[in-house]
Amino acid sequence: MKEITFTVTDPLGIHARPAGILVKEAKKFSSKITVFKGDKSCDMRKLLQLMGLAVKQGDTINVQVEGDDEDACAAAIEAFLKENF
Amino acid sequence: MALDYRKCAQEIADNIGGGANVVSAAHCATRLRLVIADNGKVNKEALENVDGVKGMFESNGQLQLIIGTGTVNKVYDEFLSITGASAASKEEVKAAAAAKQPLYIRLLKPIGDVFVPILPAIVASGLMMGLVEALAKIPGLGFGDTDWFAFLDMVANTAFAYLPVIVAISAARVFGGNIFLGAVVGLMMIHSNLTNGWAAADGYGVWYLFGHIKITDSYTLGQINQLGYQGHVIPVMLAVLFMSKLETWLHKHVPEMIDLFVTPLTTVLVTALVTFTIIGPIFSGLETIVLAGAEKLVSNPIGSCIMGALYPCTVVMGLHHMYNVIEAGMLASKGLNTWMPIASAANFAQFGACLAVGIKCKNQKTKAVAIPSSMSAALGITEPAIFGVNMRFMKPFVGGMIGGAVGALVAAFMGIGASAYGVTGIPGYLTINNALLYTIVLAISGGIAFAITTVIWQEDEPKKAAPAPAPTVAAPTNAVISCEAGKIIAPAIGQVISREEIPDATFASGVLGDGVGINPSEGVIFAPYDGTVSSVADSKHAIGITGPGDMEILIHVGVDTVAMNGDGFAPTVAEGDTVKAGQVIMTFDRAKIAKANHPDTVVVLLTNSDDYNTVNCGADV
Repeated sequence: MKEITFTVTDPLGIHARPAGILVKEAKKFSSKITVFKGDKSCDMRKLLQLMGLAVKQGDTINVQVEGDDEDACAAAIEAFLKENF
Repeated sequence: MALDYRKCAQEIADNIGGGANVVSAAHCATRLRLVIADNGKVNKEALENVDGVKGMFESNGQLQLIIGTGTVNKVYDEFLSITGASAASKEEVKAAAAAKQPLYIRLLKPIGDVFVPILPAIVASGLMMGLVEALAKIPGLGFGDTDWFAFLDMVANTAFAYLPVIVAISAARVFGGNIFLGAVVGLMMIHSNLTNGWAAADGYGVWYLFGHIKITDSYTLGQINQLGYQGHVIPVMLAVLFMSKLETWLHKHVPEMIDLFVTPLTTVLVTALVTFTIIGPIFSGLETIVLAGAEKLVSNPIGSCIMGALYPCTVVMGLHHMYNVIEAGMLASKGLNTWMPIASAANFAQFGACLAVGIKCKNQKTKAVAIPSSMSAALGITEPAIFGVNMRFMKPFVGGMIGGAVGALVAAFMGIGASAYGVTGIPGYLTINNALLYTIVLAISGGIAFAITTVIWQEDEPKKAAPAPAPTVAAPTNAVISCEAGKIIAPAIGQVISREEIPDATFASGVLGDGVGINPSEGVIFAPYDGTVSSVADSKHAIGITGPGDMEILIHVGVDTVAMNGDGFAPTVAEGDTVKAGQVIMTFDRAKIAKANHPDTVVVLLTNSDDYNTVNCGADV
């Protein structure tokens, strides 16, 4: 299992549209990707759940990746988060 | 074929007038966001045809080029190296866009933002003060000697005597500082150890922090006049603005462990020093100049005319308190206070302008402020009218200046004057030497200001009083998306457009799922099926609902509306709520979306459309 910790710097947080792009990215991989924020968590493939986390600027999220392509997947997700959020 | 990022960036730069024409550049997930200095140099057609640019539009003073996820950052990097523009955060781009508004709006907006919340306090005080002082001036009544007067006078002038505190608290809120530190700064500026600003004419003490190093005859380095800022507005706002910026900066740079005591201590100490050694002296210098200038001006009719125009500006600066000195001087030397009619003309003109706004406006909120403010101005207390109404809309303020100028000119020609000082406007009748001529002066100044304001001032487009009451429109019944799991009823009334026509590259591309757009004719959103609300965006503009067969629908109202931060959107459901098809789940204000320059297309997407074999989208499927 791979783990990523990321603090959101985008002033708008992970809102609808960028969240969708993140989901799209997550769907490229077969690994199970779980996002944790505080005591809430969700599957990164589920757009509505992800939006429900209401991740804002300054929030720290924890992402756990588990599966066959977890190395590639974790790297891609981390790069994607850094670039877009 | 892979996009040649450098070529793309080069062509963009060529078609916007080169790097010199770029104020700032930033990018988000899909777009290059540019603020351009001179839009005339932008070749929009050529830009749209640049290989790699999928579309462009302008909004909020930004030129936005849609380039696409994954590529925009690379084009952006090349763009920076070509143009030499420095990287900017999205915030900075927004700030630069805001900077394109006219200067006077940028300067006046914070004043309005600070004043509007405190209006109830100063309107109450202003009206009461006008009435109490007028009563006290009625000859033979002897009201001024009663205990009732002493008590009411205290009650009435509380908000004005401690105005700096109220202003400081409001300003701290507007400028993002701690409101309690703001209160401390305000209190400090009228501390009881300082001589009351209204009594400045009686003399005051001075502290010399760095000894007696004279810079000019009247100013010594580190000199602090022990004089309170009673009745001042601008110096207080500047002090709190400084305080808020300093506090924010310190919070960012001071290690968390010692932040709690270092930051407030440093903030208050430095703000105090800056306020009393820099902001204070500048304003007392200004006061002296204004006083000398005003005394010169009113010695002849033309000068009086100019004074009548400038008077409200000196009220804005908080410099008008010094005029008592002029009036007292006039009474001592000539026995006639010819300053009062000029001040009255200026004040009554602000009354006329404010009344015009109160009568002409349709917005009930504006009316509710303008009418009582104008009454207070008629009694000679113009702060509520000037700060709360006239200056916010600017044109009435100008109308008031013109009315004041003409009135003052007439008053100076007729040579009327008062036998005392301290009151203007209607209470001025009690001290004036010729009531008939005084009436003419008031009628002219107030009337001209009223007429000019009525003609030149237009209320901004009337905002819808409230979001349309929901149940007045029936829920649509046409399904816009259908798949094997079920049908999705249109969540909004209006013309259905295909996903590709949605004015946003990301939505249109389908990466977020298949769906449609609806150009709404009503500001109401309905539940598209029986289901559970899985998310309501903090910015209130988007709602996600999970329904039968695990369908996940995203209803996103408008494009880029996240930037409105919830203003204009009123969801009626919360996360976890169960909804029935056709139930109202949100109302929104289309006028506000239009005003913010965003398309109001309601985007309806089946976010997990990949999970189904057949998904049909259309006006009625």
